[in-house]
Amino acid sequence: MIPALCWLLPLMLTPPAEGDGPSFVHEVLPILTKAGCNSGACHGALAGKGGLKLSLRGYDPDADHHVLTRQNLGRRVDLAAPEQSLVILKATGAIKHGGGQRLVPGSADATRLLQWLAAGAPGPRTGERALTRIEVEPVQTLAKLEQKVALRVTAHYSTGPSRDVTRWAKFTSTDDLVATIDDDGVATVKGHGEAGLAVWFNNQVALATVVAPYPYPEVSAQAYPRHNFIDDHVNQKLAQLRLPASPPSSDREFIRRVFLDATGTLPRPEQVAAFLADTRPDKRAHLIEQLLASPEFVDYWTSKWSDLFLVSTAKLPQQAVWAFHRYLRRSVAQNKPWDQLAREILTASGSNLEQGQANYFVLHQEVAQLAEATSVTFLGMSITCARCHNHPLEKWTQDQYWSFANLFSRVSLKTGERAGEVWVQPRPDGDVMHQRRGVPMPPTPLDGTPLALTAPEDRRVAFAQWLTRPDNPYFAKAIINRVWKNYLGRGLIEAEDDVRQTNPPSNPALLSALEEDFVKQGYDLRRLMRLILNSAVYQRSSIALPENATDERYYSRYLPRRLSAEVILDAYSQITGVPTPFTEVHAGNTGGISQTADYPLGTRALQLPDAKVVSRFLDAFGRPARELACACERDQEASVRQALHLSNGQTLNEKLRAPNSVAARWVEEKLSDEEVIERSFMLALARPPSDAERQRFLTQLTQAKDAPRRELIEDVLWAVLTSREFLFNH
Amino acid sequence: MMQTGRLFQGGIEHPHIGSALGYLRGPRGDVPPHVLLPRPIGRTGGNLPHGQTAGYLGKPHDPFVLNADPSDPQFKVPDLAPPDYISTVRAERRQRLRDAVDAGVRKFEASSAAQQMDENFSLAYRLMSSTAARQAFELDQEPAPLRDRYGRTRFGQSCLLARRLIERGVRFVTINMFETVFDEITWDIHGSRPFTDISEMSRLVAPNFDQAYAALLEDLQQRGMLANTMVLAMGEFGRTPKINPAGGRDHHPGVWTIVLGGGPIRGGRIIGESDEQGAYPKTRPVSPAEVAATIYHGLGLDPHLELPGPQNRPIPLVDYNVQPIKELF
Repeated sequence: MIPALCWLLPLMLTPPAEGDGPSFVHEVLPILTKAGCNSGACHGALAGKGGLKLSLRGYDPDADHHVLTRQNLGRRVDLAAPEQSLVILKATGAIKHGGGQRLVPGSADATRLLQWLAAGAPGPRTGERALTRIEVEPVQTLAKLEQKVALRVTAHYSTGPSRDVTRWAKFTSTDDLVATIDDDGVATVKGHGEAGLAVWFNNQVALATVVAPYPYPEVSAQAYPRHNFIDDHVNQKLAQLRLPASPPSSDREFIRRVFLDATGTLPRPEQVAAFLADTRPDKRAHLIEQLLASPEFVDYWTSKWSDLFLVSTAKLPQQAVWAFHRYLRRSVAQNKPWDQLAREILTASGSNLEQGQANYFVLHQEVAQLAEATSVTFLGMSITCARCHNHPLEKWTQDQYWSFANLFSRVSLKTGERAGEVWVQPRPDGDVMHQRRGVPMPPTPLDGTPLALTAPEDRRVAFAQWLTRPDNPYFAKAIINRVWKNYLGRGLIEAEDDVRQTNPPSNPALLSALEEDFVKQGYDLRRLMRLILNSAVYQRSSIALPENATDERYYSRYLPRRLSAEVILDAYSQITGVPTPFTEVHAGNTGGISQTADYPLGTRALQLPDAKVVSRFLDAFGRPARELACACERDQEASVRQALHLSNGQTLNEKLRAPNSVAARWVEEKLSDEEVIERSFMLALARPPSDAERQRFLTQLTQAKDAPRRELIEDVLWAVLTSREFLFNH
Repeated sequence: MMQTGRLFQGGIEHPHIGSALGYLRGPRGDVPPHVLLPRPIGRTGGNLPHGQTAGYLGKPHDPFVLNADPSDPQFKVPDLAPPDYISTVRAERRQRLRDAVDAGVRKFEASSAAQQMDENFSLAYRLMSSTAARQAFELDQEPAPLRDRYGRTRFGQSCLLARRLIERGVRFVTINMFETVFDEITWDIHGSRPFTDISEMSRLVAPNFDQAYAALLEDLQQRGMLANTMVLAMGEFGRTPKINPAGGRDHHPGVWTIVLGGGPIRGGRIIGESDEQGAYPKTRPVSPAEVAATIYHGLGLDPHLELPGPQNRPIPLVDYNVQPIKELF
């Protein structure tokens, strides 16, 4: 028998949101959410639990109200004897409940739930005020280790007074090593640095930050070197954290670094010598200009954008790959403004062989997939979670997802007459249905203005306009972040396709300043790169000070990173003088290989348009498959497989052994041991060997007098070409 | 989650149990202590799965990843053996020359990726110089009838290779039956493409598993290895009790089954049960952390041993309030 419980209705602890009885939307659902009732582990799961299915974290109040009060003959609520309602008995653990006790009997929340039942368990009211935003305080706190910071969350509504909703908000830290936060919103500082404290309440998110400076002397931002406005913001953050910066890089370090980061190639020894001998005070700026204007720069960035836009015969016919690649290459060569590129791609019409950018629609034919790919590619955001329910980490709702998707539902594709040809056109009709509601949603670019379902204009045009508006909060940031990451080794937002409110940039002021400049100056990528490369932060040494050795976030030093697969392979070809043949392509899904004559000998890896060109080397070193619009596809990790391939595999060994290899020439030229060593270091590392290195190398060579000269020279080259210093940019 | 005993939260990368073992006990002979066959789990929707590496213990303790398909008729570990023109003397000379390039070492002191690169060369060198290490991967030394017994599938041959590696000193082998759930027939039976159909599971996936798993246990038993080798078959969640509109079953973290045996585990018993619907535990629920504690205990390790976590904060292998499943010992 259900035990009889006596409940005294205590004084109201919180005034009702409005009108008669507690608000289902603003009070009851938050109580259930905070108690975990509708979490993904319990009744919010796709299948619900114990026969009760609620929407995940209350994103569907109408359905939830129906389920709680009407479903199963309304057995969950007892309006005549509210305290006997199943919903309260289970939640307080008065009767057996798989989820245990979620609300303490007599607590404020349990009492409020009871009051709601006593008021007749009202549902969402027509004309009820809406939650417009939440605010968290303190927004930023400068703190010491072990200090506690209590957050306060205020909900603002379309009308009426705001409310303190701290008690029902959910809290997470972006970095538990810097600060942890408990369920009551109290954060404890655990380490030095900066942590974001994300707050979620009723499908709204907000962010507070806590900054715990390092235990070093106070320092002014002016004490750090400054070349342009980028440094102002970087230095501000370093000063706030009291993180000392490493000194500037040497000229020798700089030339190798900037060649690799901007063009994916190594400087030749004579270029290094000329740069070192150059006495102009602005020689670095000149070098940067020279690189930005070089054909290798165009190859490098064409390859990067080909990664982003998934240029590959995996899903595109060969001719289409050529067309798309040609389009991207032309765009880079012309320094096409990024907003123009985006508009051209997103509104492409015509033959995919003439309008290479139209292949974007050939690649993404399913509406939801096209919407998701577009979001990642141009906004740096993953909205996939919101396909089925409100995004648990972001503010995007399922309704917004499907409204967004409906922007992409009117693209028609028709096979053309030529091989590989597809005609891409907008259609006058067609809608995608909301997965749950089963109806088409007015096409809406995320938090932009909805279009009428019946509007005849090309919806893609409306989206492209919203995307490239100067005040679009995501578009410029996303591309700036990608470019920044290429040069600095770590995005201002990490990962570059994980932009969300609860994943803040490590330096919001810097990102905003870059965005303002970028938009004002016409989305000019070369200009952005020029600013970055000329900044003091980019030019810092990679040698860590003891104080900044653990910093990987605030750019107190240049972060060494492994060269990408294509760059390493091309460098090997360049130094040995033996190009890599690309004569095979993976064909079809079943692992077949076919021959190709499309890539004459001398084609560099960075010039390959197609990710399906066979290369075990590129695969071992993490070349992306270009099947998923995710930066995670490129694997920059070191692996034993790579070490084995360099040691025993054919790629490097065959280049060293080839009859036309540099090793052959040096044998012919009868170079001395010293000369071989010197030249190897200069070619690979842009520096001469140190005395100690020279000595050790000479010792090894002297001890191996019996070995063939050719082999010894190959071994010296192998050693520098597989060294860390070669394989990394630093 | 199952491979570390903890859910991924707060950005902290906890180590795979096999990597923790390798960290604590080091390699046995020339073979790596922890091997992953055939490849890491990749795209399953959302982010790349965590918990497959050594996490905060450092990359040197990451598993050695095979990156090849053992059921391939031409299977060999890529590049494990040096070419004939690289003699032992020459290989040694190359290593010494490479090690001599160190004037720039200060740039890499604070870079774990760079440390990892050097570690990999050391490990590669050890592997390629050791006949024992190379032979451990020579699957074609196994008799054909035995290879048939396991099934000539990627999973079957991985199980056989795993037995061979354990026999030759590898301490922990992780076998991923699948690397993705998209466009492949797997356990992910949502019922429509790119996922799998229930009928395909019963026709292909389950029999594949049954054959290989049974062969593995039998083989270990026959060689007298089962007494000191634990074998665990686990997944990260179960499937919904109700069939969905596509005729499949979706994800269901409410309750699922794992299979453990071998080593000190007392087999032939069932621990806990679900409700009649198969929706959640009815008796004796077991948490992933308890499973991890059980594995550590079975390996002879104290499950609450503390390891240096991020910034050297001590983190126990398993949280203090969690104990091994005592009914198994």
